[in-house]
Amino acid sequence: MDPRLSEEQEILRKSARDFLTDKCPKTLVREMEKDEKGYSPELWKEIADLGWMGLAFPEEYGGGGMSSLDLAILLEEMGRVCFPGPFFSTVICGGLPILDAGSDAQKRKYLPDIISGKTIFTLALTEASGKYDAASVKVKATAENGNYIINGTKLFIPDANVADYILCVARTDDKAKKPEDGITVFIVDAKSQGISTTVLKTIARDKQCEVVFNGVKVPKENILGELNQGWGDVQKIIERAAIAKSCEMLGGMEMVLDMTVAYVKERVQFDVPVGVFQAVQHHCVYMLVEVEGSRATAYEAAWRLSTGRPYSSEAAITKAWVSDAYQRVVALGTQSHGGVSIMEDHDLPLYFRRAKAAELAFGDARFHRKTVARNLGFKV
Amino acid sequence: MDFELSPEEKAFQKEIREFLDKECNENVVAETLSLQGAGPYSKELLRKMGANRLLAPRWPEEYDGRGMGAMAEAIKVDEINSHHAPFPLDGVEIGNALLISGNEEQKKRFLPGIASGEIDIALGYTEPNAGSDIASIQLRAVEDGDHFVLNGQKIYNSEAHVCEYHWLLTRTDPTAEKKHRGLSMFIVDLKSPGITIRPLITSGGLRTNEVFYEDVHVPRENLVGEKNGGWAVIMSALYGGGGGGGLATGTKNVINTLVKYVLEEKQDADENKWIPEAMADLYVKTHVGELMGVQATAFADLKVTPPYGGGGAVSRLLSGDTRRLLYNTAMQILGPYGQLAKDSKWAPLKGEILREFMDAPRWTIVHGSQEIQKLLIATRGLGLPRK
Repeated sequence: MDPRLSEEQEILRKSARDFLTDKCPKTLVREMEKDEKGYSPELWKEIADLGWMGLAFPEEYGGGGMSSLDLAILLEEMGRVCFPGPFFSTVICGGLPILDAGSDAQKRKYLPDIISGKTIFTLALTEASGKYDAASVKVKATAENGNYIINGTKLFIPDANVADYILCVARTDDKAKKPEDGITVFIVDAKSQGISTTVLKTIARDKQCEVVFNGVKVPKENILGELNQGWGDVQKIIERAAIAKSCEMLGGMEMVLDMTVAYVKERVQFDVPVGVFQAVQHHCVYMLVEVEGSRATAYEAAWRLSTGRPYSSEAAITKAWVSDAYQRVVALGTQSHGGVSIMEDHDLPLYFRRAKAAELAFGDARFHRKTVARNLGFKV
Repeated sequence: MDFELSPEEKAFQKEIREFLDKECNENVVAETLSLQGAGPYSKELLRKMGANRLLAPRWPEEYDGRGMGAMAEAIKVDEINSHHAPFPLDGVEIGNALLISGNEEQKKRFLPGIASGEIDIALGYTEPNAGSDIASIQLRAVEDGDHFVLNGQKIYNSEAHVCEYHWLLTRTDPTAEKKHRGLSMFIVDLKSPGITIRPLITSGGLRTNEVFYEDVHVPRENLVGEKNGGWAVIMSALYGGGGGGGLATGTKNVINTLVKYVLEEKQDADENKWIPEAMADLYVKTHVGELMGVQATAFADLKVTPPYGGGGAVSRLLSGDTRRLLYNTAMQILGPYGQLAKDSKWAPLKGEILREFMDAPRWTIVHGSQEIQKLLIATRGLGLPRK
């Protein structure tokens, strides 16, 4: 048992933190909230050159050959600064699923461009129900002359406005007995005819989109994994994304704690720093419980993933804990700051808004507690 | 980063688990669950554990330990809890402090007895007017030639009625400018003339004690550390006890027992739909508390201060809260049956849940109340100002 990061991992953390402190100030974050694309192509190129997109991919595709645990550190640091842009969509929801389920040809075709920062990916999974279960997948793909024709609407698709490719989860057999059967994942060129994308106005202003597929033609060699057997891969994507999102959220709540502790040491009321008051101290202590709990569970899950151990159960525990924890940390941080932190131009609302968006992504606490309940033996 | 026990720790876990599976019989369990302190069966088990060097794995081999770390101690505590073997074993914790603060003669005199399960030592810190503010204790020790004369009262000294010795914090200098500078620590033979032990019973049915000292003569060689240096010894006891917690096998067993009960007894009822999620929530909290505790223990073994310095105290806060929530939820699941005592007709799950529910408030108070933990975390861990 060793809770420490390795020396290389500490170096990775420090260099990421230094870089992001310098290159990703809150002014940029706010600018990107208003920006049409939602990310800075210059910064995107810089992180590609630093090898961040390729960090966890094998060297044969141009990657850094590092682990999911190393990637967790990077995500945590990105979460600290509310890093804007399609990193998560491209790497966690695009590249890694292709590495995991793709054919050799697909890996050779797509991964090098992801790693070099040339292409942006996203995952089109959720639909009108907003849920992450198989029964909610209603978008249809119908076979026709060696191609598939996709029809239907995907909702809450991050970064689809700038994506070059979309992994589209579609129903290819609607006569299958179980909702989990008959689902296929397609790699869709986002410029294909029949795709229209509308950016939704979300609390995190993070470019979640409606993507309408209207007779979109996809060649059958663009099937990722097996025809009709896609749900297993999708579940893996959800679980891994839940872990990755938790790491990002950990970074965010750490920052809220740091900001709060620094503030209550300085803010004077009744002639003393408010951090003297036990009411405020206890807020901070409970924030620390949430943060340290999140760190323990997010890293346990990332460690299991990166060492080839089973991780489904830990992914559910992690996202269940972290989803609630981030809300509590933001609430206590806001309460400790007082009025100043509910002003739109304060940094705390940036985290407040992102905490909610992140909670809802890849299953909220309730969704994952259901999985934990199933693992305990309940039929829910 | 690594979340697994080392092969040596796993082997120790297997050994103590198998030992207790076999040796922790129903008589011992009945004594433990009675909350009346270690009885004859428990004492016998402790001696057997001692003979197998299972009681003090953290001590050096020369004192019948195994030279292992705080993690082995955590494993021991976890197995003892989940088997309902006799607990607490404050003697071992006190022995940790003796290893740091005791002299050679004291180590030779007490450690082998503790490690072999022959003797146990009760903590004697709290007094009626000194709880969290422990430096305010008043039990007076006056030096008189080759011994000290003790007068005063301690309270909530659990197991004192079944222990051989008392780890006693006394006041030797009432005029010290700072009150924590006038304290001294002794190991006192509880059979000494002038000691009276009276039972106190908690609302959860736990037998604890008040201990009265009336002109009790304690030889000088029983003074631990320096005269008026008792505060440093207390700190070493706290340090010595650092880590050592975290694993939650017992709590996870309780959750699984409840799940089984619900699946068998409460199927399909519409009003029970809340239960799976509530149990999942408890499992999540238990697991996270366990991870934090185990990591704090690992940090203690590595002699590294964890980020934010919070360590074990942070995990204890969560685990204490979770324990209360668990048994409160369990009582809600049992409904009206939950209120039935173990010897009542219709009592579910052998009355275990009610016993734990009634005992749960203790765990957020004993060994440093949650408020003290929060104070330490806030000021030492987060560096918040005291004034």
